[in-house]
Amino acid sequence: MTTLARRLLDSRFRLSTQLYLGIGGAVALTVVASLVGLVSFDHVADVQRRVNEGSVPEMVTAFGVAQQSGTLVAAGPRLTAAATPEELAHTVADISHDRQAFEAQVAALPDQGAEEPRFERIRARGNALLANVGAIEESVAEGFLLAERSQALRAEIAALQRELAAALIPAIDDQLFYTMTGYRELGEAPAPRAVHRSEDELNRYRHMAGLQANATIAIQLLASAFDVSDIALLEPLRERFEASAGKIERGLSALGATPLRARIAPALSRLVDLGLGQDQGFDLRALELSLGERQTALLASNNDLAVELAAEAEGLVSAAREGVQDAAQASSSAISTGGNLLLAISVTSIVGAALISWLFVGRVLMRRLGRLSDRMRRMAEGDIEAEVVVDGRGEVADMAAALEVFRRHALEVQRLNLVEKLAEELKGKNEQLEDALANLQRAQVQIVMQEKLAALGELTAGVAHEIRNPLNFVKNFSDVTEQLLEELLEELQTVLPEPVDGKEDESSALIREISADITENLRLIREHGERANQIVHHMLSMGRDSGGRQPTDINALLDEHVRLAYHSARASDDSFQLDIVEDFDPAVGSLDVVTQDVGRVFLNLVSNACQATAERRRAEEAADAADPGREGSEGGAYEPTLTLVTRRSEEGVEIRIRDNGSGIPPEIIDDIFNPFFTTKPPDQGTGLGLALSSDIVRQHGGQIRVESEPGAFTEMIVTLSAEPPAEAVDDTAEDEADSGWEQAEESPLPS
Amino acid sequence: MRRASGLRPALLMAVWFALPGAAAVQAEEPGVTDQQILFGQSAAFSGPAQDLGKNLRLGIQAAFEEANRRGGVHGRTLALRSLDDAYEPEAAIVNTRRLVANDGVFALIGAVGTPTSRSAAPIAADMGVPYLAPFTGAEFLRDRAWRNVINLRASYYQETEAMVSRLIGDLGIDGVGVIYQDDSFGQAGYRGVRRALERRGLEPVAIGVYPRNTTAVKTALLDVQRLDPEAVILIGAYEPVAALIAWARHVGFDPVFLTISFVGSNALARELGAAGAGVFVTQVVPFPDGDEPAVTLAYRRALAAHSPEAVPGFVSFEGYLAGRLAIEGLERCGREIDRSCLLDNLRRAEVIDLDGFRLRYGEDDNQGSDAVFVTVIGRDGRYHPIDTLRLAAQP
Repeated sequence: MTTLARRLLDSRFRLSTQLYLGIGGAVALTVVASLVGLVSFDHVADVQRRVNEGSVPEMVTAFGVAQQSGTLVAAGPRLTAAATPEELAHTVADISHDRQAFEAQVAALPDQGAEEPRFERIRARGNALLANVGAIEESVAEGFLLAERSQALRAEIAALQRELAAALIPAIDDQLFYTMTGYRELGEAPAPRAVHRSEDELNRYRHMAGLQANATIAIQLLASAFDVSDIALLEPLRERFEASAGKIERGLSALGATPLRARIAPALSRLVDLGLGQDQGFDLRALELSLGERQTALLASNNDLAVELAAEAEGLVSAAREGVQDAAQASSSAISTGGNLLLAISVTSIVGAALISWLFVGRVLMRRLGRLSDRMRRMAEGDIEAEVVVDGRGEVADMAAALEVFRRHALEVQRLNLVEKLAEELKGKNEQLEDALANLQRAQVQIVMQEKLAALGELTAGVAHEIRNPLNFVKNFSDVTEQLLEELLEELQTVLPEPVDGKEDESSALIREISADITENLRLIREHGERANQIVHHMLSMGRDSGGRQPTDINALLDEHVRLAYHSARASDDSFQLDIVEDFDPAVGSLDVVTQDVGRVFLNLVSNACQATAERRRAEEAADAADPGREGSEGGAYEPTLTLVTRRSEEGVEIRIRDNGSGIPPEIIDDIFNPFFTTKPPDQGTGLGLALSSDIVRQHGGQIRVESEPGAFTEMIVTLSAEPPAEAVDDTAEDEADSGWEQAEESPLPS
Repeated sequence: MRRASGLRPALLMAVWFALPGAAAVQAEEPGVTDQQILFGQSAAFSGPAQDLGKNLRLGIQAAFEEANRRGGVHGRTLALRSLDDAYEPEAAIVNTRRLVANDGVFALIGAVGTPTSRSAAPIAADMGVPYLAPFTGAEFLRDRAWRNVINLRASYYQETEAMVSRLIGDLGIDGVGVIYQDDSFGQAGYRGVRRALERRGLEPVAIGVYPRNTTAVKTALLDVQRLDPEAVILIGAYEPVAALIAWARHVGFDPVFLTISFVGSNALARELGAAGAGVFVTQVVPFPDGDEPAVTLAYRRALAAHSPEAVPGFVSFEGYLAGRLAIEGLERCGREIDRSCLLDNLRRAEVIDLDGFRLRYGEDDNQGSDAVFVTVIGRDGRYHPIDTLRLAAQP
């Protein structure tokens, strides 16, 4: 229980709880506002209802009665206008709704209150109107019955007229003809004049004609009766009809008992009866006309009633106007009260909502969230030193705490990274120092060796100088000896016996032979002495400065240094062998080069080639020794060969120096031109030969390329530009000359 | 007279012009089905003029049957519905309305009489129904304002003109009396006679009138006999005319009697018997027993085929010609027929030649034939065609 209570108590600091509370508060305010609005509207409706129940319904009913009375008044003529009973029934059905509505409205009129007399009058007139309409309906229906009867009557009259004409006209015609001529029937003889011209016959003719005339008059009078619309005019017609009827009666009796009378008497008496009989002719027409008059009177009465009803309604309106105004005032005051109330509630709602948003959302929530987000942004920018502090409790504080943990972790990680990085840097520096140390050591060895070589060079120059003097002695004395020998031989010619029979004695022949041998020996001595002198000369010249550019025959230069290198190799290794194939292009001619430098390059490259072939030969021999039956490599099959090719090109000269030695492994082929790079033992190579050669060639506007296949061949390709670059080549050459490196290259090559 | 009749023709014209449009909208023309075209006839089949109605119907039916035997007109057979009006205008009105509204006939044909036509033709005009070949020569039906009326026969004026001209020309008689039926027919005939005489500077020397639909003619006889004219023109139905001639002969009054086609010649001859000898009757159709023109033979064949016992006569011949006229109009329309097409085709035709009996209509002329033939009743009680009154007057 206590845990739950505490959780509940704690949860009041939760954001969600606060949000719910805030929104709930706003909703509560809205509900309160709605309720107040409802109550105030109900109040307005209540006022309105009171107004409606007051004066308005009375007015509405009275107006309804007045208005509906117009409809009913209009129904009267519609009823009377009906041409057939069917039409009448239709119209009655049509207006029955109006009648019922009117009845209902009349019944709904209030029977008490201030205006009671007026309502009483309206009710009375309304009822009268209803009664009138009923009476009109009845009279129209009656009119149809009468019309039907008068129709039948007129048809009968027409038939009578035809019947009488058919009987009377030929009879009169016959009577006249008989009276005039005496002929009665065709084929009969005429009657005597006294008979047919008698007074009797004349009278008969007169009565017959009179009967016809009176019958015609009577029929026309009767027909006229149905044409008149004024009931007053009926009586004169009736009077004249009565006169005609009297004459007809007298005429008939005057005819006597003739067949004609028997034939026409019933028709004539029926004619009279149709005119004057009970409910016949004139009576019928009188009924019809009076019915019409009654309808007219009813219609007029209806109109009057409608006018009166309208007037009553008008009076009611003016009486009710005041009441309506009061009611309207009450209604508007109720509406304004309700409106004010609603306005107040609305303002309260808005203020409440504003307070909630300002106090809670703005002041508490947004401020704390803002601080937190500000901290996070700063952390993202790298500032993770400062501590994350957000006061209070709830989700924001939770987030701040989590952020603080995260910040501490980040700090830790950052420190660890720094240590690691420093260690790495230290390691790199260490390695660099080690490399530098190794280089220094190597350079030290080189320097020592160079010192040695320099001393050896000086020594060699001294020795060479000393050797030249004995060599001069050898040469000079061999020359003198030769001259002496020639003089000796001339002397001997004189002393020695002449040959007998072409045959010389033995001793003179021997002398001659010996002297020839001595001459030959002397020539050999001189030749070899000269050669030795030449070698010494070269040795001395090598020690001197290389000098400036001068036109140099490249082919000759190459040949000379190849020879030097070969002999140098032979000198150090007795078993050394090399086939030299020269393919010199005569067009190569001379180039302006520093002769000593370029010669040094050639010497260097050829020496390396010699070493490579020697190396391979040793490798082959070792392999043969280990495996004599080795396939494809019988002993001595390997012939070391050096191929030299020169070619003139547009840019300058290309020199290819190719050996079929041990080749260069691909992994080091890129390093061979680097200074101090060597595959030889430290005491045998400086690692500077190829680097120096590359520099020299570059100073001559050319380059050295290498192509090689391990165990097969190596080809160095030197190109020299015909036009050397315009730089201070001489200085370089001077420096090179001073450096004394050449002596190192002249040093005996490693075996 | 023009002024007096001006208003109604204008109204009729307006009605008539409005009708073709309305008719064109209708999916089907009244009285026309795929198989049949129905005609209506209101005529006298009872009363003193019944022979006229009956014979007229006989002739129309003979013509229709003749066409139907050939397969009809463009695949449709022709039918006739006849109603009796007993020569009474009121009945004619009722009949015409019934035929048009209830029976839905395509056209009216063969009405008998002037008063009846006078009542029925306006109704037909109002309803846009063709009114073909009424058996009357009354002048008012020849008014150009009647767009729906097609007359076949010569007018009464033409008949009376022929009578007067023959009396004066052939016999040199100028004392002419008139006895006429007291209705629009009789008055039309009387006016015709009077006009013909006045053109010659004369006027009737004696005038007698008798009530229509009766045989009370003796008063009229007395009136005329008193003035003793040399010739008497009778305008009436056959019964009273026969009675009158009989009585005149009986009382010794013996002028030259002439009567008009409407009389119903065969019935007149029958009624008169021996007393009929020497009575001249003008006809508007050729002599039915003759050989000329060819339509006479066709008529007799059709009549014999339709009704073997029927005797050829002027009225049934006129009926036959009326039927032929209607057929001709329909033939010219083709399969798609309507009322205006029928009327237009008849009106606009150059000549309608019914086997030699030629009819000519025009925009202002709704009367096809102007021919008047004179016949005389012989001692044998039969009719004989004559060229002059002179020889026949001395039988």
